[in-house]
Amino acid sequence: MQRVNMADMDADTAAHTEPSVEEEEPFFSNLDLLLFSLIVGLVVYWYMSRKKPEPIPEFKKLDTAAPAARETSFIEKMKKTGKNIIVFYGSQTGTGEEFANRLSKDAQRYGMKGMAADPEEYEMAELARLSQIENSLAIFCMATYGEGDPTDNAQDFYDWLQEIDDEDLSGLNYTVFALGNKTYEHYNAMGKYVDKRLEELGAKRIFDLGLGDDDGNLEEDFVSWREQFWPSVCEHFGVEASGDDSSIRQYELKEHTDLNMNKVYSGEMGRLKSFEVQKPPYDSKNPFLAPVTVNRKLNKAGDRHLMHVELDITGSKIRYDSGDHVAVFPTNDSAMVNKLGQILGVDLDVVISLNNLDEESNKKHPFPCPTTYRTALTHYLDISQPPRTNVLYELAQYASDPKDQENMRRMSSSSPEGKALYHSWVQGACRNILAILEDMPSLRPPVDHLCELLPRLQARYYSIASSSKVHPDRISICAVVVEYETPTGRTNKGVATNWLKNKLVTDNGHKSTVPMFIRKSQFRLPFKTTNPVIMIGPGTGIAPFMGFIQERGWLKEQGKEVGETLLYFGCRYKNEDYIYQEELEEAEKKGVLTQLNIAFSRDQEQKVYVQHLLKNSKEHLWKLIHSDNAHIYVCGDAKNMAKDVQTALQDIAEELGGMTRTQATDYVKKLMTKGRYSQDVWT
Amino acid sequence: MSADKMATTASANGAGPVNEGKDTLSPEDLSELLAAGTKEVHEKAENTQFVKDFLKGRIRKELFKLGAVALYYTYTAMEEEIERNKDHPHFAPLYFPTELHRREALARDLEYFYGPDWQSEVSCSPAAQRYVDRIHEVGQEDPVLLVSHAYTRYMGDLSGGQVLKKVAQRAMKLPPTGEGLEFYTFDGIHSAKEFKQLYRSRMNVLVLDEDTKKRLVAEAVKAFQFNMEVFDELEEIGKTIQEDVLDAGMPVHGAMGGDISKCPYYSAKMAAAGGSEYACQLAMAVLRHPTGQVLCAALAAALAGFAAWYLM
Repeated sequence: MQRVNMADMDADTAAHTEPSVEEEEPFFSNLDLLLFSLIVGLVVYWYMSRKKPEPIPEFKKLDTAAPAARETSFIEKMKKTGKNIIVFYGSQTGTGEEFANRLSKDAQRYGMKGMAADPEEYEMAELARLSQIENSLAIFCMATYGEGDPTDNAQDFYDWLQEIDDEDLSGLNYTVFALGNKTYEHYNAMGKYVDKRLEELGAKRIFDLGLGDDDGNLEEDFVSWREQFWPSVCEHFGVEASGDDSSIRQYELKEHTDLNMNKVYSGEMGRLKSFEVQKPPYDSKNPFLAPVTVNRKLNKAGDRHLMHVELDITGSKIRYDSGDHVAVFPTNDSAMVNKLGQILGVDLDVVISLNNLDEESNKKHPFPCPTTYRTALTHYLDISQPPRTNVLYELAQYASDPKDQENMRRMSSSSPEGKALYHSWVQGACRNILAILEDMPSLRPPVDHLCELLPRLQARYYSIASSSKVHPDRISICAVVVEYETPTGRTNKGVATNWLKNKLVTDNGHKSTVPMFIRKSQFRLPFKTTNPVIMIGPGTGIAPFMGFIQERGWLKEQGKEVGETLLYFGCRYKNEDYIYQEELEEAEKKGVLTQLNIAFSRDQEQKVYVQHLLKNSKEHLWKLIHSDNAHIYVCGDAKNMAKDVQTALQDIAEELGGMTRTQATDYVKKLMTKGRYSQDVWT
Repeated sequence: MSADKMATTASANGAGPVNEGKDTLSPEDLSELLAAGTKEVHEKAENTQFVKDFLKGRIRKELFKLGAVALYYTYTAMEEEIERNKDHPHFAPLYFPTELHRREALARDLEYFYGPDWQSEVSCSPAAQRYVDRIHEVGQEDPVLLVSHAYTRYMGDLSGGQVLKKVAQRAMKLPPTGEGLEFYTFDGIHSAKEFKQLYRSRMNVLVLDEDTKKRLVAEAVKAFQFNMEVFDELEEIGKTIQEDVLDAGMPVHGAMGGDISKCPYYSAKMAAAGGSEYACQLAMAVLRHPTGQVLCAALAAALAGFAAWYLM
């Protein structure tokens, strides 16, 4: 203020001084005055440029710079705005807050009203009185930060939770979704703490703690949790979905009547016509249609069907290494698709698009559109897995029989009876969507809504059973066909294995093709060919080792010095499912396989598995592992076999390495970290 | 970086007492020597202001872009030296161009941030240049030490780097389709954990004497230090950017230095108060601005001079 006036004053003064000396001899010459005003100007400038350095604003100040009249009572705010659900967020980078906002918006779909809230801005002690509001619920989206710490905005809340011991939170309904990252030691510590502590203080948990892993897929974890959460909330409060009982659709159906078939998807994953005009590079959006050149049954007897399939990749420019995975895009059984069409009473060959109602969303359609229902149900949607509870919840409205509707709603709730019913009627009985429709005749959803709800059909991955050094233009697959009887007397068939089984090699012009691409793995033979190799792969787990054995053989032929190569294989009966017997015995004869150990589990009274064979050769194994830098490879069943093998190796380390149990466990874990113990296992 | 280090040091610490003779834990393994030898400097790097702020989501786009530029020059140098030495017995087992190399990905990120003419717009900063010079020196004169640089950067990218990716995506609202973050996306690697295990096994394949192993650890520590110098440089640049933001733009409004025309409260108030107050505010705003001050002073001087001339 002052300076402004001074400058103005100076100008004025300079201007005003002139008239007063006009009559006399000028005291100052023109030049003097010019210089004088210049100096003044410069002085003014200098004075004003000496501003104080502005303090760099801290982010926190922005947050707390709130007008004094702000409401710190969230109960008052909820009462004023008619909300019954409040979603608190502990958020550092904004994700927790985003999730909280989404949840609060969700509420209206289910006839309720929600608001998101920053715990730092409110009096959290009011949680004890939240029951004042009817049908109230507090949701917490809590991120963990650093070493199991709360986020900055949740620090006070955290402190409060720790201090209050005699606070009674009974009457408070709550649920927690935790945001964290598994690579950190204190995974989701904050979310877990809040969930446990509130219960300790007497609050009522109305839905299970959700755990989100940012190292995996946090968004997916959140969406899955939320899909199960809302139906259980509705169930808990006895609240019906809003309005006219119809749920809010995500996509809008558009039927095309006059579309050129060139514009219609017929099973492609990405670019239209990518199956007709094939262009490398090939990946999950643009698979290569590989012709099937071999498809033979591997086992000699028994009721299972193990197969060896060879795909021709000549001309595709596809390269692979032994140990890599081949991904294939299977299709659903056409008979099953037809049955679905019949039972729903629709023409499957209508061309349709499902367009996202949320124009901001990146996902314009649930699957490539425009397409026909037939293509969608055959190529793009999974119709074999038991439907998840959120699907049942959304379909319930289409059951005209009130008992059916009640059962559908119950199975999708989180009540113990509901969970048990779902567990037995859907999961235990292995009912897929077709079975559910057959067993619930009053349930007839519109086919387009069903297509919106079913999950996408995923590619299947198989360990490649050949070596690119020996067979650069061929990819081999070793798989067992999945087929079993369900408790309802139906036969369930594995999608990919049955589809592969039916990819027959024909004599006529038409070749069976398999849309595929390569997914690189890190399952690799050692860099140094002299390193010994210990391969453990019972059943179809032998697949990558067929490639490894071929490659070790090739290296020998090249004149390289190759270390010991041991295989531990297991199957049920020597005369039934000893797959690749000829190839393995040949390799043993040639010295490519220095040791071939087979466990025939059912050929004698007691069960013999690969881990027993490991124990039988423990001295030799220990020498190879501990002194000769051997690499260990395990392939096959994750749940039991891989664990049993790891335990057997730990036993050997303990016994022959003179270690304690802990040391042996660490020794084996270290082998894994250092890349000398690799696993390619599946559940 | 953090996850990897935590995992290996955790197991190293939990292993129990060391036995006589051949250690059950084989501390001769280069992978373990490197992990142990860089533990301290790794913690230091994690605790630089730049990294701490980054992890909290406090990363300004301008700094992130400059960071990507530094990375571009670093990886260009490193991958050039790796190509030169790909058959050298002291590097060959670690040659994974398809899986690891970042130069093209960084070039795409820079094109996204700076436009198609990005090459003429970016340059190598002093701290990055020092890092680049060392890499070239090592690649040409003592290639085994290249292992330390590759280890420090690539293993880090596959560990803590993945966490940084998600933080950066949210903090700067980058598109979910991955533009601007291709550096952090390893298309050729399905499981970072498995790849790191493979990489470690390859490091342990190298035939090295004790002295070389020690030098490798020392060089890895140096590599961390070069990285920290780049962080510090970015932090400094960050401070000057802050001042520019406060100085530039007219008119300024409030202690935060915001653009007054965007303030809804202000425009509402002005609409109510009428025009004269606005003119006054504007005048005051002009005079608070340094350029405005110069102009005013010059104007005052000129007016005075003119008046003096006129009235003489």
